[in-house]
Amino acid sequence: MSALRLISNRTSQQALSDSDYTWDYEYYEYGPVSFEGLKAHKYSIVIGFWVGLAVFVIFMFFVLTLLTKTGAPHQDNAELSEKRFHMNSFVAEFGRPLESERVFSHHMAEESQSLFHFCINEVDHMNKIKETQKGPSLESNTHFQEVPKSSGMFEEDLHCLTKFNIPNFVNTEQNSSLGEDDLLISEPPIIL
Amino acid sequence: ENISDFSLNITDCTQVVVPEEVFFTVAAAGILENLLILIAVVRNKNLHLPMYFFICSLAISDMLGSLYKTLENIFIILCKMGYLTRHGDFEKKLDDAMDSMFILSLLGSIFSLLAIAADRYITIFYALRYHNIMTLRRALVILAIIWAFCAGSSIAIALFSYEAATIIPFTILFPLMMFFILCLYVHMFLLARSHARKIASLPSSTVHHRTNMKGAITLTIFLGVFLCCWAPFVLHILLARFCPHNPYCACYMSIFHVNGTLIMCNAIINPMIFAFRSPELRSTFKKMFYCPR
Repeated sequence: MSALRLISNRTSQQALSDSDYTWDYEYYEYGPVSFEGLKAHKYSIVIGFWVGLAVFVIFMFFVLTLLTKTGAPHQDNAELSEKRFHMNSFVAEFGRPLESERVFSHHMAEESQSLFHFCINEVDHMNKIKETQKGPSLESNTHFQEVPKSSGMFEEDLHCLTKFNIPNFVNTEQNSSLGEDDLLISEPPIIL
Repeated sequence: ENISDFSLNITDCTQVVVPEEVFFTVAAAGILENLLILIAVVRNKNLHLPMYFFICSLAISDMLGSLYKTLENIFIILCKMGYLTRHGDFEKKLDDAMDSMFILSLLGSIFSLLAIAADRYITIFYALRYHNIMTLRRALVILAIIWAFCAGSSIAIALFSYEAATIIPFTILFPLMMFFILCLYVHMFLLARSHARKIASLPSSTVHHRTNMKGAITLTIFLGVFLCCWAPFVLHILLARFCPHNPYCACYMSIFHVNGTLIMCNAIINPMIFAFRSPELRSTFKKMFYCPR
């Protein structure tokens, strides 16, 4: 791109006095740029751009945070020693919620607890899952896989969630943000 | 050239120089990281899935971006040392080729991100039919189409870059794609929120109320990193095209090398927020490095 070339030429010209930095000059030349009589600070575009970008990113973050507020009624803090219930409800397909227990280690921080998910996989898929643990029993033609989640990483949630072949699913947990971020770090259902 | 030097007075915006060591380190790190991902996906049969192919496509774009910057720097050094002439025909063609590589990298990144977002969207909203919709063959076909389109566009843009008609669509494509990807993810958010509400309303649920920040943070990181790394350069191209003589624009363009380094940082960060979050990929890495061969 000639613009790129020119930029390299011009900017590199200022960098080295011997001006050997340039390596192509074609379509047009930059004339002398006068810096006389500037009303605003000379780096105003730079500052304005980065400030604008930062404001936009923060604004986007707040919008997304508002969107992700679940609005559930406030519950008392469950003690870490209590079992937490991880509920998967498959609204359309199964008509009744699945429940699975997860055991959280007491000492781990909220955000970095290991979670166990129960994913429904078809038979073929079971072979591909490396770590399985026992899960609740359901109908005989469904298989549950439990994928232990490493601390702090929520991708396994989605790794599991996306193994679902059911469109309406949700899993919630008490103190970890499973719902939304899982959907972001999804892996496709490895069901074949 | 002497005239332009003479007229640049003390208040001039001098070029912000990034040390070459920093430049090459960042570039090498980006190339190595993405190469690792490609090797891991190729070696592990479990990772032969559409999702990982899209992540590989993103890794290839990132590699191309870093490679471009490295090659450009090497050529500039060679010019400095006198091995290459400045106005030779061969150098011009080389420059064209490298410019088109860079644009290919940018377009490839955008379309790979789009493909990843669309893949996740289909996973969520068409979960039952996902394997019929997104077969391996279809994923490869989609990737082939994307890369053919990107290659054609990049060559066209590099050849016809002096016309405004190529710069403007290029710079419009960038925010459009970002907006579209944002909409896909927001829709996924809304679904998750509505389902979480349904779960919370069930009697046996003991859901603890808290604002789910993780999702918002993750998505903000996704798009924020991409924007912060690529937007400065896109703005640079716009300004160079439309106001090269304006002193404000000239001051912005003096941080060109910093913008280039940002693009290479994007190549380093992208694997961390996409590829390394997959447990399967991480375990493949561990096997590659820790297991004796």
